[in-house]
Amino acid sequence: MSDHDVSPRHAWWSRFTSSSPTVVTAYAFILGLVVGVVIIATTTPAVLDAWRGIFHGWDGLPHALNITFNNVGAAYRDMFTGSVVDPQGFWHSLTTGKGWPNTLTPLSETLTYATPLIIVSIGVGIAFQTGLFNIGANGQAVIGGIAGTAFGSMLHMPTIIHLPLTLLMGIAGGMLVGAVPGLLKAYTGAHEVIVTLMFNYVTYSVLLFMVLSTPFQQPGQANDIGRTLDPSAILAPLFGTTSGLRISYGIFVAAIVVVFAWWLLDRSSLGFDFRITGANPSAARASGINAKRVIVLAFLISGGLAGLAGVVQVASTTHYIDGGFLIGSAGIGFTAITVALLGRNRPMGIVWAALLFAALGVGGRNMQSLTGIPLDLATVIQSAIVLFVATPVLVKEIFKLRHVTTNSLQLATTGWGS
Amino acid sequence: MGIVSLLDAPETTPNTPQVKNRRTRVIAVIMALVGLFTVFIFGFGSVSKAKSSLTFDPINLANAPIKLGSLTMPVRWTDIVLGLLMIALGAEVFIRRPRRAVMLRFGIVAILFLLALLFWAARSPGPSVISSVNLTSILVGSSATVMVLVFGSLSGVMCERSGVVNIAIEGQFIGGAFLGSMIASTTNNFFYAAIGGLVIGGLIGLLLAFFSLRYQSDQIIVGIVLVTMLGSLSSYLNLEIFTPFPNFNTGNIAPNLPIPLLSKIPILGPVFFNQSGFFYVMIILVALVSFALFKTRYGLHVRAVGEHPRAAATVGISVVRVRYINVVLGGAIAGLGGVGFMATQGQFQVGYTSGLGYIALAALIFGRWRPSGAVVASVIFGLSVYLSYDLVTYQFPVSIYILQTFPYLITIAVVAGLIGRVRAPAADGQPYIRD
Repeated sequence: MSDHDVSPRHAWWSRFTSSSPTVVTAYAFILGLVVGVVIIATTTPAVLDAWRGIFHGWDGLPHALNITFNNVGAAYRDMFTGSVVDPQGFWHSLTTGKGWPNTLTPLSETLTYATPLIIVSIGVGIAFQTGLFNIGANGQAVIGGIAGTAFGSMLHMPTIIHLPLTLLMGIAGGMLVGAVPGLLKAYTGAHEVIVTLMFNYVTYSVLLFMVLSTPFQQPGQANDIGRTLDPSAILAPLFGTTSGLRISYGIFVAAIVVVFAWWLLDRSSLGFDFRITGANPSAARASGINAKRVIVLAFLISGGLAGLAGVVQVASTTHYIDGGFLIGSAGIGFTAITVALLGRNRPMGIVWAALLFAALGVGGRNMQSLTGIPLDLATVIQSAIVLFVATPVLVKEIFKLRHVTTNSLQLATTGWGS
Repeated sequence: MGIVSLLDAPETTPNTPQVKNRRTRVIAVIMALVGLFTVFIFGFGSVSKAKSSLTFDPINLANAPIKLGSLTMPVRWTDIVLGLLMIALGAEVFIRRPRRAVMLRFGIVAILFLLALLFWAARSPGPSVISSVNLTSILVGSSATVMVLVFGSLSGVMCERSGVVNIAIEGQFIGGAFLGSMIASTTNNFFYAAIGGLVIGGLIGLLLAFFSLRYQSDQIIVGIVLVTMLGSLSSYLNLEIFTPFPNFNTGNIAPNLPIPLLSKIPILGPVFFNQSGFFYVMIILVALVSFALFKTRYGLHVRAVGEHPRAAATVGISVVRVRYINVVLGGAIAGLGGVGFMATQGQFQVGYTSGLGYIALAALIFGRWRPSGAVVASVIFGLSVYLSYDLVTYQFPVSIYILQTFPYLITIAVVAGLIGRVRAPAADGQPYIRD
């Protein structure tokens, strides 16, 4: 399991040619960006026109390359400035002391997007570590969001109890949905991938039903919009509503979840049972671990975290749920699978991966508004990265990496064959 | 010989029969409860003089030389009879606990229930404006959805029988629909569009096969990533190509090719013999895949590879080659299904397959990884999906979204072993590592 290079000393650059998980992940990221370059270059009319020029003579080549670099460069630059920081604005703020909210907005947006993503991905990661594949995180988050929002909008009480109870209701909602695949897997052997996959659509129908029917729909609304959270049940912006920065107290919730996951997986005996079951089910059974209990508990925790993510998403951004809740371009639950894989199912790894993916998503929006290249490019890049991360051997072959550890990403599941 | 006996074995895999029987009784009780619900809510719940008429003539009467009149059905008694039939089927399953075809009986109950629901929704002194149920138009309307589901689940049969889980059906639908619309719009020829669908679906299948066979990646993860990627790529290309150049995505609906004489048969004619080319291709494919899987030497190899790759390799079958071929062919079938779907909708829209690929996966499981079962499941699921939208016109009091959960809940019940017994090919989804 060691990530360390066990071979004798190499030159300093040798770490870039070894196939440690970090290096493979980094190269996978680069390959993902390359895929993005290929897509931009082959679909942007200006670039295609420039390349058409080389059929008239080789002197068109520098021009074509120039145009390509400009377009691709602009896209990735806008992604960066839209998600991390705009160097010019930063310098301006630093020298004049003005415009900090504007300068910090990209970072704040990235953190706002990353917050629920971290929580739900840690849930998926815990399931992965137990050898369970929770594709249903999206549905669990949706029900968690509905449960939390229903509680936070229909009952009224002071913040000090309302907010925690709202979050707890989200956890409960997610646990309820997560319990189904767990119990079915433990007691009937139903494959959790099929059950959770189907439940995603069931919960999506439930969502549409809820936002369009009486108790939950926003009173006086004909559209698919649910009730708005009470001000006592929201996760308020960290720097006050006047700052314009959306980053909220939700990041503390995410931090608590990260610590909880670390404690669970690395310090608690339950987490030990989880990991043993995931690594070697027959060894777990032989050592007396109750497999049914582990499966059900892992799904309860995974679903609960997904539900918490759902309610955090509502409470920190829109404060209400509509018919497109958490669907987005891919759905937070599906992104969470990719984030968990990228972060190798470890809490801190997931934090970095979630920040990266949130940055890609937020930056993609900036790219779309500035260059007209559609935001979906970010999702394509994300999926390409994960495809490479899930296939470390391919990355090793492409970059001719030395084989140092046997610890490539061990695949979480096998299909539903017996 | 070894493989033959190996393939015969699964039907009698060691499994405690008592547990199975108890679960069969659970589904029997559910069937009876559905029947009781029908009798009391739909039957006795409607006024005794409520009527709804059952019509059979196609909407477009030009093609129907033989006209059938309409049947006026007293809603109360019709639904009571239908409900009693369901109860009878449930009782039969409860008492006899048949070893086979429990799912078929359940499917019959599901269809009877949908019929009863329709009569009740269209009852004449009632909330609905429409007081007739046109059987033919319902069957014709749902045949488009059924067709796509059949393509998708056949693709799943091809892949999973050889031991590779194809979750990317949805992605192959999207790819096929996108490229199909582009080709059909530029060439105005659905044959080329179909070829394009086969190619793109096959390529996505090849990608899945490449990652899961050469590198033993997790097939489920690769499948999900492919769906995500195709979904966002199609949305990206839609904005980059179809929005600025709408000529590439014009309304194209595949023309119906009525078969002479046969298409004039009442009910059956419009449903089976007045369809687009994709529908006929689908029927041929079902027969072809069934035959190839269960009657040919190659099919035996496929099933052997899906059940026990090591044993298959021992007798000289190339596991990886068989899987490559099947996954590519399966992908091509799903890609064709995507074109077929586009051809019923007229053009490509982002996200309009909305989970049909996953319902196809569900149909595959409900159909026990058999082409014939997949067709039956596709019919039931396709009907329920179509009706959930159609019932809106009847001012149906229950939200359509509740009805839409039906295929998914049924599939969960199936994999939980409530409805008969399903068993995936033993090596389904497990990476094969050559010695």
